[in-house]
Amino acid sequence: MTEDPKELVRLVREDRNQRVRAVARLMTWIENDPERMPELLVGAADWPSARMVIGLTGPPGCGKSLLVDRLITAWRAQNPVGRIGVIAVDASSPFTRGAFLGDRLRMMSHATDANVFIRSAASRGHIGGLMLGVRGFVRVLGLAGCQVILIETVGVGQNETEITDVADLVVVAIDPGHGDVIQLLKSGLMEVGDIFVVNKADREGAAQLHAQLLSVLRLKAQGKTGRIPDVCLVSALHRRGVVELIDLFEKRAAAAEGEWQFRRRHMIFDEVKEAVLEESRRRILQAVGREQMATEDFQRILRGEVTVAGLVDEIFQRVIGTSIHKVEHHG
Amino acid sequence: MKQGPVRILIGKVGLDGHDRGAKYIVHVLRDAGYEVIYTGIRHSPKEIVETALQEDVALIGLSLLSGAHKLLLKQVTDLLKERGAADILVVAGGSIPASDIPGLKAMGISAVFTPGTPSQSILDTLAALIGARQQAI
Repeated sequence: MTEDPKELVRLVREDRNQRVRAVARLMTWIENDPERMPELLVGAADWPSARMVIGLTGPPGCGKSLLVDRLITAWRAQNPVGRIGVIAVDASSPFTRGAFLGDRLRMMSHATDANVFIRSAASRGHIGGLMLGVRGFVRVLGLAGCQVILIETVGVGQNETEITDVADLVVVAIDPGHGDVIQLLKSGLMEVGDIFVVNKADREGAAQLHAQLLSVLRLKAQGKTGRIPDVCLVSALHRRGVVELIDLFEKRAAAAEGEWQFRRRHMIFDEVKEAVLEESRRRILQAVGREQMATEDFQRILRGEVTVAGLVDEIFQRVIGTSIHKVEHHG
Repeated sequence: MKQGPVRILIGKVGLDGHDRGAKYIVHVLRDAGYEVIYTGIRHSPKEIVETALQEDVALIGLSLLSGAHKLLLKQVTDLLKERGAADILVVAGGSIPASDIPGLKAMGISAVFTPGTPSQSILDTLAALIGARQQAI
């Protein structure tokens, strides 16, 4: 199969027999070369896009993948001809670059459903667990006719806030048995949820966690305007509360559709910005390669010829062509 | 296309549920820098093939301990051809009699790893197969 992205786009649109492979290939292209994504998106203004992009985050083991599986089942039962896409992100090893992508295991009951496209992605060293490529995946799934897209994040908890940039609606899932109410008061994860799911409602402690969460959210909302997040008790395992969760998505979509469309149109700005940052990061890492540091530069620090701050500025000048202090002044 | 980490699907087809070997291989491959999609146990050849297409993997590794390897692996390679994806490599591992290996190779299975194969030799074989595939594309 061709590797030319433009040709792949044509295949997704026009060739039913090759569509699945072309979508998958296009995703690989985006994943391997994310800074070239704007190139692809130049022609993407008229691509169809999903009606709803839902981000699902929460700590590892809280049941995100099984919840995705149940959401697909319930949504497909309600929409016999609708198409749904899933992006399931798992962590890459920072040491070997390898990854064990296991989210999909919970979703295998949909493997032969032609209206469900699931793609696992490794985080490939990006901090928030969501790589730039996810944006591209969302566009490609839209092109492939998916009306709903679910993005499951790595779930490293408190850093998982990037998802708000990509998803229309962010669902934070938690489960009983991991610490007390103090965890609910911390920054990060608990701030990004439009909807909270207390999963494993069949387990001991779920009702208590639900009550604590409600009180924390009410406390936070005091004196502020805007929407208090919804909280749902769900047991993905026993398929309880799943249809109610979908109803909630639909309600939110109906209330905010105009706002979502507006946000999506402005995402192109973020996409370009991220592509530039990505390329810069790559170049800087190249310039301060580990081995170079270990040798001459490092020896100079040890010999006392240069301070750490001095070396940082030196490297910065080498890459950017101007002193760190100058940049700060201008900025 | 720029090359990223190579993607591999590891799974089990048919009814046997012994997944220790498959999970071990997943870890070996992960530590060697591959991105491994693990699909778990008891899947049909069609489920495996559709998953491999969506995940755009270079190679499918199937663990079989049930004795049904000839039938199940044939179904996998046939389905790949049917879906225009015969370029995706298929390897097998598990309790497979040596006398069956030539037949499996003839139906398009690139390598068969029987019990006791050192993990390094699996890695070397896969690297050679994947390297040759990338050159061919």
